Amino acid sequence: MKCKLLYGLAMVCLLAFGCSKNDDGSHVAPITLYEKVNGNWGLMNLKMVDEFAKKNAIEPSEQNLSSMFNYADFKINFNVDEKMQPTSYEVLGDVPPLFAPTGYWELSAAFQPTGQIPLMIYLYSDVQKTQKTDELRLSSVPGSNGEMEIQLTRTSEGTPFITYIFKLNTLNE
Amino acid sequence: MKKIIQIVLLTFLLLPNFVKAQTQEAGDVGAMWSFPVVYEYDEEVTWYFDLSGTTFLAESDVYLWMWSPSEPDAGNWENSSEFAKLTYEGNMVWSKTLTPTLYFSKTPEEIAASAGFWFRLKDKTGTLQSGVAQVAYTNFTTFYTDNQLIKSYPSAPTLDKGISILFNSNLQPGFEGATSVHFHSGLNNWDVKQEYQAWLPEIVEKTKLKDLGNGFYKMDLIPNEYYDVPDGYVMNNLVFLMVKDEWAATTPDHVLNAGEYIPPPPPEFRFFPLQLSKKDFLGIMRKNNEPGVNKLVYTITANDVILTGEFTGNVSEIKGFVNLVTPLQNVENLTSIHVLVKDNNNNVISDTTIPLKTVD
Repeated sequence: MKCKLLYGLAMVCLLAFGCSKNDDGSHVAPITLYEKVNGNWGLMNLKMVDEFAKKNAIEPSEQNLSSMFNYADFKINFNVDEKMQPTSYEVLGDVPPLFAPTGYWELSAAFQPTGQIPLMIYLYSDVQKTQKTDELRLSSVPGSNGEMEIQLTRTSEGTPFITYIFKLNTLNE
Repeated sequence: MKKIIQIVLLTFLLLPNFVKAQTQEAGDVGAMWSFPVVYEYDEEVTWYFDLSGTTFLAESDVYLWMWSPSEPDAGNWENSSEFAKLTYEGNMVWSKTLTPTLYFSKTPEEIAASAGFWFRLKDKTGTLQSGVAQVAYTNFTTFYTDNQLIKSYPSAPTLDKGISILFNSNLQPGFEGATSVHFHSGLNNWDVKQEYQAWLPEIVEKTKLKDLGNGFYKMDLIPNEYYDVPDGYVMNNLVFLMVKDEWAATTPDHVLNAGEYIPPPPPEFRFFPLQLSKKDFLGIMRKNNEPGVNKLVYTITANDVILTGEFTGNVSEIKGFVNLVTPLQNVENLTSIHVLVKDNNNNVISDTTIPLKTVD
């Protein structure tokens, strides 16, 4: 009996410490969001949310536009340079320009912010990124499923009245 | 060893329970109806079963298991025969077309004296079954002795439900020795007609009443199919007269007022979204349209730019979106747009000025 107990303890020790590996000091730069966002994205779904109706509990407060105005062909490329820094972006597909179809981009933060701070994609018309054209909210960060969600909110005097929600999937293969 | 024997015994004891538990209850059969509405036992009829309240899967194979007035598929609980299979009609409704005397191998008298049509519905192998149910039968034989010229089942027809109209030609002078009797009829005081056109063979066939013998006749129809009325048609009455042979004699006009119908909900028109800028899409939608309204034609005026177009739909909804983004992107000083919407009958649905939001 005692013998078995000892074996058991030995096994537990082995499992707990047996495979630990000492840090050998090699260092890899942490993965930034640019690595996840860069690339080509296709549209899965486009929804238009009436923020005024939603706030006032009026139905309907949203409509699906995925099959309209050529949005089935909507694609967007977010490009980066060799240092994983954001460069240009481009919308492909003959769709109405809800936001500037070409330009330059950057994220509000290279890493996922903590708490309630929204993660934004800023769009600029110039390479120096001084002329901001639009702001997209990165409402769902790309994960292992290869999907992300961006939102374009129209506001007037600070009050949102429409949000377009683009659900995208990666075309990087 | 003793233990093993005990386990084996226990297994055998539990086995019958286990087998029995393999038949699962799907729930009770919901609404049931038939076409024709009333029928003789030797007449072909289609029974309809609404299984929306059961766990049977849509489009799945469902079989009829009957034991009264007889048990046609006896001994095949675990492998129902093809003849007992129902037809899926859509919307969780299944049907079975049969002639009772043939299906049950019984005479009309024997069926009349039986306990009625008792059944369960099941899957092929008997692992799923409905509750016990009965197909109700409407005995209309009293009509043969009632001295009534016309009687209908139900007394007030509805547009999408079957109706059986019985006719006692013995009470109508001039109908003696008729070779055939025909149904000359219409809806809403002859607004939609199915005339008895005696020179068109297919109309002669369509309008022909079923001869029940001894001067009694029956007409079976479903109004919306028989008159092929447009979507959303509202039926107020069914008007008809019976015609002997090629118009040798007729009955007077008869009117059957339609069963209480639920008036359609009022039309609902709206724009989507409720607030927008010139960089957005404008949705135009109208629900609960009047019969015949299937198109919305719009004219949008934005300073010098005029956008026109149309959306099609049906009675339940007409909906579409206008792209303001592209055509209005270079229109300056735009604070509002004027929107005129008409239907396909040129009625003005909306004549409105919509203020535009200025985007931050």
